[in-house]
Amino acid sequence: MAAQWEPPAPTRLDPVQPGTSARLLVVPALVGCLVALTLGIYGRLHSPTGVAVDVIGFSNGATVKSVLASGAIGFAIIQVGSSLVMYGKVRWFGAPSWIGGLHRWSGRITFILTVPVVVHCLYALGFQTFSARVFAHSIAGCLFFGVFTVKMLALTRRGMPGWVLPVLGGLAFALLVLLWFTSAFWFFTTFGWSR
Amino acid sequence: MKIATPVITLIVGLALAASLLVSSMSAVSGEKAALARASAAANATAAASAAATASPAQPTSAGVSATAAASAASPSPSSSQGFVIPPHANYVGEVQGNLGSVALVVHDTFAIAYFCNGKTQEAWLRGTPQNGKLSMTGKNHASLTANYALGHARGTVIVDGISHIFSIIAVHKPSGLYQSIETVRGATVKAGWIVLANGTQVGSLEPDSTSATPSARTAPKLDISTLTAQDGDTTLTATPIDGETGSGF
Repeated sequence: MAAQWEPPAPTRLDPVQPGTSARLLVVPALVGCLVALTLGIYGRLHSPTGVAVDVIGFSNGATVKSVLASGAIGFAIIQVGSSLVMYGKVRWFGAPSWIGGLHRWSGRITFILTVPVVVHCLYALGFQTFSARVFAHSIAGCLFFGVFTVKMLALTRRGMPGWVLPVLGGLAFALLVLLWFTSAFWFFTTFGWSR
Repeated sequence: MKIATPVITLIVGLALAASLLVSSMSAVSGEKAALARASAAANATAAASAAATASPAQPTSAGVSATAAASAASPSPSSSQGFVIPPHANYVGEVQGNLGSVALVVHDTFAIAYFCNGKTQEAWLRGTPQNGKLSMTGKNHASLTANYALGHARGTVIVDGISHIFSIIAVHKPSGLYQSIETVRGATVKAGWIVLANGTQVGSLEPDSTSATPSARTAPKLDISTLTAQDGDTTLTATPIDGETGSGF
């Protein structure tokens, strides 16, 4: 006679959390690291040419970059403002329906404005360490595009903890401001405005 | 298949970066082609003047080095890859974008360059010429790369992280590079002036040039006839750095 059948001991199944999991951030974070490392290693290995494609209407690349970076800072401030409204931090100002669109488009414009700058930086100047300003700028430049990539990929995933997007966005903004201070601000205060 | 809009943003940025990178690469190779054309023109001029003065240098169109220089008592231009390379030369001019001027002085196996904007941005650079190519370095990680030939020099100088492109011409005294080094109250004061072909000058002065990262300010005006400049109660005496006479080397 067969042994009495016993039901298998119930394995403990944790209830599936539809809520949040920071583990969802692992893949975006790895991709972001890869982006930052790629930029840094390329900037270090590629020997700087000093020259890149010119933008019509300006006499030198540094002015163009400073203007583009300053434009990016302007749109980035719109980013921070619109996200504060979206998160309900501006008490006397309810989130209007167009605020999401404003946030997305100002972000896209910010990013697109930075792309010619980083291409010129990496191709013409490279990753440099010869002064505190230049070193901070090189590091922040690599990190900015890493953080931005993480944020873009994090947006595509549902179920992230609530702190993820504000932290990533705040980090990207802080890095962008650091980049601007160590480049465009320095350039305009050193050389002044020339076309 | 629907792609999330943030990913589209990343892809668009990447595509823009790639296209800019490709156009930068073609811009740089265009720059090199222009340099080759300019050198060819200088080569032709040099060949003509060499023929007129019966100079021993006879650059060959094939780019093979002409070795006739051996018989010359004075150093003669050499030819390398179709470039006529003067052994002694001074080049000055403004960098592209008017952010400063650069002087490049070659004397036999040694070269001195100076970049300054007449204010805080300046650098002295040194290097060794090799077949008309220069790769020079200076304090604060300043660097300069250039190609030079009879009559002109082109290249890039990077000072304080800003790169400046230049295409400058050969000049003779009184245009050129001047330097003054004085000890004032224990500090080494080093000033440099670049006198352009049209006679305008630009100069910067390092109040403490022995520092690893010397700061600079505008230099007082250099009197070209007396080679002196008055900096407050100090009189600075300048020496020409001249590739043609070897002064300052």
